[in-house]
Amino acid sequence: MSTIANALATPTPSVAPIPARSGAPDRRLRLVETPARRRRPKLLYGIVAVLGAFLIAGAQMVLSIMTTQGSYELAELTQEQRALTYQKQILYDDVAGLSSPQYLAANAAALGMVIDESPSYLRLSDGAILGASQVALGSSSVDAIGRGAVPNALIADTPLVTVPDATIDGLPVEVVETPAVDGGVSNTPPPLTDGLPTPSTH
Amino acid sequence: MTTRSTRSPRRRTVVALAVVLAVLAGFIVRLIDIQVVNADEHVSDSLDHAFAGSQTLYGARGSIVDENRQTLAGSILLYDCQLDPLLITQIDEDVLAGKSSARLWAAVSEDVAAITGQTPEDVRSIVEAALAENPDSRFAYLKKRVTTEQFRALVDLNTPYIVCLQHPARAYPDGAVAGNLVGFVGSDGAPLEGLEQSQDSCLAATDGKRVYQKGKDGVVIPGTERVEPATGGGTLQLTINRDLQWYLQQLIAEQTQNMGAQSGAILVYEVETGKVRAAAEYPTVDPNDVAATEVADRASRIFRNQFEPGSTFKALTAATVIDAGGQTPHSTVVVSGSETFPNGARVRDSFQHPAYEYTLTGVLIDSSNAGISKFSETVSPQTRYDYLRAFGIGSGTDSSYPSEASGLLYPANEWGAQTTYNTSFGQALTTTMPELARAYGAIANDGMLMPLSIVESCTLADGTVIEPERAEPTRVISESTSAQMRQMLENVFLQAPYAKNVEIPGYRVAGKTGTGEKSDGNGGYKSGVYYTTMVGFAPADDPEYVVVVTLDEPTKVTSSAANAPAFQKAMTQVLKTYRVMPSTTAPELLPKFG
Repeated sequence: MSTIANALATPTPSVAPIPARSGAPDRRLRLVETPARRRRPKLLYGIVAVLGAFLIAGAQMVLSIMTTQGSYELAELTQEQRALTYQKQILYDDVAGLSSPQYLAANAAALGMVIDESPSYLRLSDGAILGASQVALGSSSVDAIGRGAVPNALIADTPLVTVPDATIDGLPVEVVETPAVDGGVSNTPPPLTDGLPTPSTH
Repeated sequence: MTTRSTRSPRRRTVVALAVVLAVLAGFIVRLIDIQVVNADEHVSDSLDHAFAGSQTLYGARGSIVDENRQTLAGSILLYDCQLDPLLITQIDEDVLAGKSSARLWAAVSEDVAAITGQTPEDVRSIVEAALAENPDSRFAYLKKRVTTEQFRALVDLNTPYIVCLQHPARAYPDGAVAGNLVGFVGSDGAPLEGLEQSQDSCLAATDGKRVYQKGKDGVVIPGTERVEPATGGGTLQLTINRDLQWYLQQLIAEQTQNMGAQSGAILVYEVETGKVRAAAEYPTVDPNDVAATEVADRASRIFRNQFEPGSTFKALTAATVIDAGGQTPHSTVVVSGSETFPNGARVRDSFQHPAYEYTLTGVLIDSSNAGISKFSETVSPQTRYDYLRAFGIGSGTDSSYPSEASGLLYPANEWGAQTTYNTSFGQALTTTMPELARAYGAIANDGMLMPLSIVESCTLADGTVIEPERAEPTRVISESTSAQMRQMLENVFLQAPYAKNVEIPGYRVAGKTGTGEKSDGNGGYKSGVYYTTMVGFAPADDPEYVVVVTLDEPTKVTSSAANAPAFQKAMTQVLKTYRVMPSTTAPELLPKFG
């Protein structure tokens, strides 16, 4: 305080006591110009800094929005992928076992196809036929449909493609229905389809 | 207080800076404490407290494929569905009080039952039983192992009280085809039998984990997800051909039934490589439905059974006496139907006959026990023992089938008077089907014994291919002995009484039958029932495949002739499957008698 009071108390000389020289007017102009030059860059830098800050904040916001948007998209796609995985599993379950040899063989046998015995080969070099050259005699070397002995629980109830009411376990046994006449006893005995009935004893 | 020092602007700056730095240092210390020193603790805390989610990522167990990479065993997902009985009653109460518009359990249970294949009463009784036991029960299994389709249908019902959890499981698309080799896993996924068990280190997967934080709407918060990926199991490739395997399984099933046998088996062995192309047996297991099969039939008899081979071993004795005893297919002995030997042993043939001058070929054709016993005297018992060992009898194979049996062969110095002769025609010792196939393979393969295998390779998830360790091929007999043996065995199939039954038009086939005695468990043999074998190879002039057919106690035909139809069809199918060309040369007939 005392320093300032002293300064105020001391009268400042309004005119420089130094006698006028040739270079004096130049010095005074410079003193005025210099603060003006300093002020202008300060404002510019301030604007740049503020703009920069806004820009950074804006960019960050945009990035953040994009990331969030991306994670929603990701969640959506994950959901879709999961649905497709389920679909794939369902379809895989549906066709499981259809490619098995017993299913193929039962289908073929149901069509009347047989597994031939000895094959014959045509030799291209001289046109000779190698092998037994016999025709298939209509009997298969194994009975793929009548005596299917290689079970497959996956397709135990799956109908054959060629005979829809049969499975790999064989053709359906024809059930002969004997209509009962109004509570009375049918006067014709049921037809025997599988030999004489035998009692099952143990 | 205002002192001179604080009045100075410079000092003030220094003090302010020091304070700021001190605060900053405090923050840094705390930051390092949180982010580095106790980071793990805080991360796990945050996962516990925040909307943390974690998920087990199941790696799929590797598949088992056949020679042509057709799937024999694969992994699928099933679901275990559970109910919340308490929530069901609460929702029902709300509905009855008019507070909720949900459907009543009575109605929903009808839909649930229709989906799972249970009856509505069953479904309702699950809930009732759980509530009877504990009125606050929040858990009861609705049904285990439901399919994906059923699971999705249950989810579509949109009920809060049904929850389904994943249950990795196995599916065997071909059912019982090669089920005896592939084996099966338990309902908990633990491998129990067959190659599933012995090759578990190849097939087993490593589960992974996914940990994340999620927002209220279930969306994963970016940057919080951490994934340890699951590693799938390796793919196990077998040497089996599944189409051939199916045919032979169907065939042996029919033949076993036709012959009234207890069980039957067919083994196909590739001569040049030692790879098993089919190992079919009946009865056998369908790995999709293990419970449907008797416990005794769930493993492979081919690899677990040992049996007394009988006459099939006469060929091994013949090979020994040609290779080490200076004999030829034309060498002769004079034998009658029953012979007594100097050491007191007595050997009888299966049929009565006067003294014949049999050639070695003739002994094999008529399967004369006395004849092969006389021939066996041309080498020492120790030499015969060494040859049997070299043929791999009693040492098992490298098949990788778990708990594989091996034959039982006593050292020559323990052989008694009778055993010395009986071993020449396959008694007083046991073998297994793989051992027998491999020994005949050596006879057919110019005398080289190839290691037997059913596992081709294991391809790990990262693409590394691991081949199982196999023994080195070894020479058992010379090439010329092998050639003479092939010729003799072909003559057996040309001149034996069952020749017509084993004939394959266009092909030259060689082989031998065996009728093994079965122990009655009291030191004697069962009477009237046998373990019958037929082993052969084709084409006889350049063998490619050995086929062994066995029947356990056939009753319609009790001798090894019972195996002839199965052998003939099996060999035909093998030759067809592998496109083996018919023979263009004619066999040379050898004399039976000298």
